Amino acid sequence: MRMIVGLDLPDSGSALIGGKHYAELDWPLREVGALLDAKAFHPARTARNHLRWLALGNDIPRVRVDEVLDQVGLTSVANRRVGKFSLGMTQRLGIAAALLGDPGVLLFDEPVNGLDPEGIRWVRHFLRDLAKEGRTVLVSSHLISEMSLTADRLVVIGRGRLIAETSVADFVARSGGGAVRLVTPDQVAFTAVISTAGATVEDDGGSLTVEGLTSSQIGDLGVQNGLRIYELTPITASLEDAFMELTQDEVEYRPSTMPGAIAVGEKE
Amino acid sequence: MSTEILLNAPRGHYRIKHVARSEIAKIITLRSSAITLGLTFAACLLVTGLVSHSALHHDPGYYAGFDPTAESLTGMITVALAGGVMGALLITSEYSSGTIRSTLAAAPKRPLLLATKVGVTTVLMVVFCEVLSFASFFLGQAILSGGGAPSATLASSGSARAVVMTGLFIALIALMSFGFGLIFRSTAAAIAAFVGVIFVLPLVMHGISESDVHYLPTNILINAIMSTVNQGPGGQFAPVSPTVGLVLMTVYAAIALAVGAALFVRRDA
Repeated sequence: MRMIVGLDLPDSGSALIGGKHYAELDWPLREVGALLDAKAFHPARTARNHLRWLALGNDIPRVRVDEVLDQVGLTSVANRRVGKFSLGMTQRLGIAAALLGDPGVLLFDEPVNGLDPEGIRWVRHFLRDLAKEGRTVLVSSHLISEMSLTADRLVVIGRGRLIAETSVADFVARSGGGAVRLVTPDQVAFTAVISTAGATVEDDGGSLTVEGLTSSQIGDLGVQNGLRIYELTPITASLEDAFMELTQDEVEYRPSTMPGAIAVGEKE
Repeated sequence: MSTEILLNAPRGHYRIKHVARSEIAKIITLRSSAITLGLTFAACLLVTGLVSHSALHHDPGYYAGFDPTAESLTGMITVALAGGVMGALLITSEYSSGTIRSTLAAAPKRPLLLATKVGVTTVLMVVFCEVLSFASFFLGQAILSGGGAPSATLASSGSARAVVMTGLFIALIALMSFGFGLIFRSTAAAIAAFVGVIFVLPLVMHGISESDVHYLPTNILINAIMSTVNQGPGGQFAPVSPTVGLVLMTVYAAIALAVGAALFVRRDA
């Protein structure tokens, strides 16, 4: 993200926005809004003054400053020094700065970091609303459960390498999905039937986990063999499970208790 | 949402005037800028007042070779110190606070941004230092003439030159310090470099090469720029003429700024 807005130079390749380098944009703040880290303000300046000098730099009308302050709910503290802001308030100010030029492309790096639950909900809805208005919103996060609630499309990057680029639904379906939870009083008989059908069964105590058959196929098997079914639930892997599965080999800092890491350590 | 603003984006692209407005707003909106300028103003006039006052009521022998112009500009030494610190802070505070990332988001063309920043800093420093230089001169002369000591006017030989050049010279010192700020990006390091060049280097140079001491900023300022006596190549203390001294200082500031600019344009922010 820092490369996209030209703060860092890539070792090779380039990052373009709508076919242009960020530095070549006519009015950068009117085209791209970025929240890269919460602390990008001088602590002694007020929130309103921070937005004012930003606005002046891209010829953005002054009224817009109060508009975005209102949008993120900072109007009442607009004349307070930013240094006295809580993490949540600085985050809101960062979002206000990104929205200042009313840009069509928005970049948010870890936007919910340090926010309280209410703030997290607010950001989540806010990001979705911005996307609904037809803007492109690129959000990075380590909170995978958060992404499953916010994102449409996913780009998974591990150790600087692109691992996947897909939609959230596809991503989950592709990795790990397809198991079905089955609760039946006829466990032994059902296990035999399913095994014959070529699927695998695992006994989880009160229930069976079936892999290799859909819930409708299992239902049909039950009827054909006169076996009772109390519950039949398709288990969709959570985004987090899917992510973990996919990035297993790409984790940078692995706890040493993991068997894999020990093996590597011994070889070295 | 006001998509009409997006549609109303002005033609063309952001220019120096937009960046300049932005930079000026940044300076104005920090209370510390006004406080620093105000304190510097007060400290300068206080030093000039004290020094001029202590030059009163001496035996006639004391006034042989007395330089009323240099006497009244003594307070400008404090301006050199404050200007050096301010010059560095104008850029290093952006790095320490993270503001630089907002600045680069609004004006990602780094050469344009830096040129504007240097321009704004130059105008601010030149105006401030010139105003103080004249104020210091007039205050000092009022005290000297009021106390019956030898005094000067702007019409006196070399006085107007000394007053104008002192302001310019100190503005150049501040710009050199701005260059250090660009190079080091840390306030402590930039100010250490500035203090090293201005206060430590002259002392060290005495032990290395006595004849080269005259080319150091501090010595040029005191012996050539601020003085109206003992001028020119013949003088014992000022082998550098005021004009050569000012050119040298311009070169020093330009070197610091050029190195800083080369790093600023390439380095990750």
